[in-house]
Amino acid sequence: MRIDWWTLALQAINVLVLVFILSRFLFRPIADIVEARRAEARALLDRAEAEKAAAEADRAEARAEVERRARDRDAAHAAVAAEVDREKAALLAAARAEGERLRAAAEADVAGLERSAQRVAADRASRLAVDIAAKLLARLPEDVRVSGFLDGLLRAVAALPETTRASLGAEGVPLRLKTPRVLGAAESEALRAGLARVLGRDVAITVVVEPALVAGLELEAPHASVRNSFRADLDRIAEELTRP
Amino acid sequence: MNASPLTLEPAFMLGPVPIAAPVVVTWVILAVLGVGAFLATRRLSTRPSAFQSLLEIVVVTIDDQIRGTMQTDPARFRALIGTIFLYVLVANWSSLVPGVEPPTARLETDAALAFIVLGATVAFGIATRGLGGYLATFAEPTWVMIPLNLVEQVTRTFSLIVRLFGNVMSGVFVIGIVLSLAGLLVPIPLMALDLLTGAVQAYIFAVLATVFIGAAVGERPPPRSEPTSSEGKTP
Repeated sequence: MRIDWWTLALQAINVLVLVFILSRFLFRPIADIVEARRAEARALLDRAEAEKAAAEADRAEARAEVERRARDRDAAHAAVAAEVDREKAALLAAARAEGERLRAAAEADVAGLERSAQRVAADRASRLAVDIAAKLLARLPEDVRVSGFLDGLLRAVAALPETTRASLGAEGVPLRLKTPRVLGAAESEALRAGLARVLGRDVAITVVVEPALVAGLELEAPHASVRNSFRADLDRIAEELTRP
Repeated sequence: MNASPLTLEPAFMLGPVPIAAPVVVTWVILAVLGVGAFLATRRLSTRPSAFQSLLEIVVVTIDDQIRGTMQTDPARFRALIGTIFLYVLVANWSSLVPGVEPPTARLETDAALAFIVLGATVAFGIATRGLGGYLATFAEPTWVMIPLNLVEQVTRTFSLIVRLFGNVMSGVFVIGIVLSLAGLLVPIPLMALDLLTGAVQAYIFAVLATVFIGAAVGERPPPRSEPTSSEGKTP
């Protein structure tokens, strides 16, 4: 057995050179590229984590936005419902007020119609009463329709205030005397004498025939009138009947 | 193979230096591996090709083996351990080339490898622990063990030499003898077995080198960011 030290040394040098070559051209580049890929993978994972976190944040934000919009929608619905309630209440109140107004107007119309009906009825009653009275008075003597009312007329004139009586027939203005028929001479004289006695002086008289009086006498002056006739009584009765 | 495996004749003289056949074969292996590594790593990409993936598997496997055995970052030891494994593997398999005798079938090559491992053990031990710390490891567990530990340094280096030399040289001899007796096709199963033996011996040599250097460096907690995918094996 013999060791070739030259070969041993050369082989040692060869192996060391090979260590250098493979380290430079094989192991280091391969290890570097593996490490680069690991770093790239880590970066990808980190980016994926970051993007996942961002996506989670976006999703949470979107969820919050949806909830906020739902709240806004509910609030809008509530506001609309409240507005609708207010509008409905206002419309109901307006309709109720309009109904009340229409009912009051209808009641007023009904009352007016009732009053008109009463007036018509009173008018008819008064005409009927005049007709009845006329037919009844037609059975009495003609002079009763005038002379029977002479005293009543004189008492009414006497009951007038002094100043009013003083103004009757003053300054030459004749008094208008309404009669249901033409007066006779005796009736005219009795009337003239009665008035002179009550007024204390003679007055001029203008006789106006008005059959509508039925019976009685009426005296008219510019500032006063004395009604003492069936027509005046029937008018008062009709007025009382039509008074609400 | 008729020459004695224990004697080596120079193939030619380079000046005063005799150049033997194993040195020439080693130069060829060195050239093939160097040029191959250069060509293979010219266009590396983070999206690897099939061949790049194969290279990465080899390197990552070596890293995992170192990390699992030494419990430390494999970057410092990757080049030495990986080169020893690849060189021994390619040298053992060079017997497939007709007329080529594996350099590892010669005692000088195995001794050179073993001495490199011995030197790396001492260098890494001192670099890691300091000179005092490294020398103190010889007194572990007690100072009584100092002679035995010193002898162990020699014997385990010698065992590295003899194990690799014996296995490869015996394979070459067996194939040569069978080839001389039985013809062309009969040695093929033995050559296939020799391939397996060569791969196993390359793995054993690299793992033992890792274990020896790891023992000199001492155990450290594994890097937190690097996973450990394999356990250390001591044949």
